[in-house]
Amino acid sequence: MSETKIQVEHLNFYYGDKIALSDISMVIPDRQITALIGPSGCGKSTFLRCLNRMNDTIPHTRVEGRVMLDGVDIYAPGTDVVELRRRVGMVFQRPNPFPQSVFDNVAFGPRVLGLHRHHDLHEIVERSLRDVGLWDEVKDNLRQHALNLSLGQQQRLCLARVIAVQPEVILMDEPCSALDPIATLEIEELMRRLRENYCIVIVTHNMQQAARVSDWTGFFWLGELVEFGPTEVIFTRPARKLTEDYITGRAG
Amino acid sequence: MPRETFDRELQRLQDELLLLGSMVERAIAESVDALKRRDFEASRRIIAQDRDINARRFAIETDALVLIATQQPMASDLRALAAILDLASELERMGDYAKGIARINLMIGDQPLIKPLIDIPRMAERACSMLHRALDAFARRDVALARAIPSEDDEVDALYNQVYRELVTYILADPKNIDQANYLLWAAHNLERAADRVTNICERVIFTVTGELGELNREGNGIEDLPG
Repeated sequence: MSETKIQVEHLNFYYGDKIALSDISMVIPDRQITALIGPSGCGKSTFLRCLNRMNDTIPHTRVEGRVMLDGVDIYAPGTDVVELRRRVGMVFQRPNPFPQSVFDNVAFGPRVLGLHRHHDLHEIVERSLRDVGLWDEVKDNLRQHALNLSLGQQQRLCLARVIAVQPEVILMDEPCSALDPIATLEIEELMRRLRENYCIVIVTHNMQQAARVSDWTGFFWLGELVEFGPTEVIFTRPARKLTEDYITGRAG
Repeated sequence: MPRETFDRELQRLQDELLLLGSMVERAIAESVDALKRRDFEASRRIIAQDRDINARRFAIETDALVLIATQQPMASDLRALAAILDLASELERMGDYAKGIARINLMIGDQPLIKPLIDIPRMAERACSMLHRALDAFARRDVALARAIPSEDDEVDALYNQVYRELVTYILADPKNIDQANYLLWAAHNLERAADRVTNICERVIFTVTGELGELNREGNGIEDLPG
């Protein structure tokens, strides 16, 4: 196992009085892909959103336990949440590019962080678009509206937007559920490439996708982490009966 | 039940495999019986039936691959299908051993046997019994049974050694016996190999249930200074 990037310790999460995540502990390694699977409502997306405090924006929620990013608790008082979300970027279910040009989408983050020289911005935009394999498809018209791109291209653009601010962790919440099979495979290939430089955590309903793309898999059920282990073990000989029943399609 | 279609297909494939197993078991028993009785007609029938065995093996293989491609099985389901693929090919090879013994009967032709066959039929009986129970262990996912069967291979090996030594004495007594002794030794060898393949089947049963892949009863195969 490579170096630990995120260490979650006894994490509980509440929506009002209702407990949504119960005593989750997990070590997420750097430069690997960790997949979170489980039926709808099992808490996997809630868990993902705990990793960059996206749940902070939802009223009447409460977190207990610790989430250590490089050994530092992101829920400690005084944490700079904006900086946290730069370090821990997120890609969502539906591609959500800003209604701007391709260039401005990718340059958005660096501009917010204070970068304004066109030459520098151009360099970042090109590098980010190259990293997601979109550069050759858009380089001739960086001023085109982002919404003119195909959905698969839009999702890669969103990834480029995340990468442009040089994050360390990329969270992906069902990143392929709106995409066709070819665009899905493109994103998966891209994930395997990005894995060289980033810690990636993906929530997916598609078990075959988890099996294809990830190094580690965590199975959530009713707000609990039932089993966590190497993907090849989880999908061939899981230790827990519930995991077996879920991945063979007999539970959930 | 969300996996009804898959479960039904998996069960059907398993039934097909067990049917293939019973065909192979019968072919082995009958091939030795035909050799013992010098029944050429029966031997020719066994040779012809081997084509059915091969065709069934290919059908099982094709259906298993279709099931993998269309149903994306995981964990124990995937292991069961991998085992079915493996078992189908083990059984088909065992069928070839029976066909080989049937051919030997034809090759010996009209010559009388140089000795009455005692140990070779015993070997066949043991190998068939092992095969029968190994397939039963697969059908019932019985790990304890699968672990117990391979030790019986030692008895088959002991019988093989006995057959070998006995045939050597016949060769030494009269070099004219060489050809037939060779044929009979080859028949015994086929049965010894068939019993070895039962051990492979038992290993796959354990793999299907536990996910552990490992060799059973392989420290010294009990055969004295013989190749194979």
